[in-house]
Amino acid sequence: MAFQILLNFFLAFLWMFLKVSFTSSTFIIGYLLGLILIYGMRRFFSTEFYMKRVLAVIYLILLFFKELLMANIDVLKVILKPKLDIQPGIFALPTELESDWEITLLANLITLTPGTLVVDISDDHKTLYIHAIDLPDVHEAIDGIKNSFEKAIMEVSRNA
Amino acid sequence: MKTNDVILQTASKVVFFIIILFSIHLFFTGHYHPGGGFVGGLMTSGAIVLLLLAYDIETVSKGFPIDYKILIAIGLFFAAGTAAGALLFNVPFLTHAFGYFDLPLLGKTSLHTAVLFDTGVYLTVIGVTMTIIQTIGESE
Repeated sequence: MAFQILLNFFLAFLWMFLKVSFTSSTFIIGYLLGLILIYGMRRFFSTEFYMKRVLAVIYLILLFFKELLMANIDVLKVILKPKLDIQPGIFALPTELESDWEITLLANLITLTPGTLVVDISDDHKTLYIHAIDLPDVHEAIDGIKNSFEKAIMEVSRNA
Repeated sequence: MKTNDVILQTASKVVFFIIILFSIHLFFTGHYHPGGGFVGGLMTSGAIVLLLLAYDIETVSKGFPIDYKILIAIGLFFAAGTAAGALLFNVPFLTHAFGYFDLPLLGKTSLHTAVLFDTGVYLTVIGVTMTIIQTIGESE
């Protein structure tokens, strides 16, 4: 991946030298041309086309903003409810993520999503202990959210 | 005997891009400087030939799943379409039009329909060259 980005920058500079025009717009045009060429050549590289991972990162960011908005609306509902009929609880979530930054990212994303909070991570980095504000009715729904987050993170980190 | 072509393959993987970029430069520079569709197309097919030398026919055709015969047809369609398009505006066959436009990134650019004709030449040259080389290469 790093090789492809480096090659793309090199091609953009080469385009600037071919055009004898050292402006940012020439650079951007060269970069876009290089991007198209690298896309055409993607089957000859051992790693995947790098824009795929860039798109995965953008998708993860959009997912995060969506969940952040939903989380705050959910908490607002709990606070404004006249009756306090929530059932808090702590549950364990097995995770398939391996590297430290993936787990940190997942934990932070979970903490910022509807009514959940990461309390602790097991010593073998395989289980996340999560406190949920209202467990009975969101247990399965939250597992679904975790799967979407975990999948989005894996989409970013595979072939690293 | 099969030799290990790793140096040739790695080098041609990078050199390929430089050749292609130069061929695109030649293609677009044709109106004001030496260059144009023919030499650009030849250089593009030269880059693909370099890959054919470094790899084998199956790898390259898997890498670029293009039927070059269809590329010839598309190229001829471009050329004929640009020529015939003039008839729609009540001007003789092959009359070209041009104008100045403000494009994002490129700034003030003169767009000329001759470029579309040149694209046809470019695609046809790539198609013909690659068809010839692949057909000769595949026959035992």
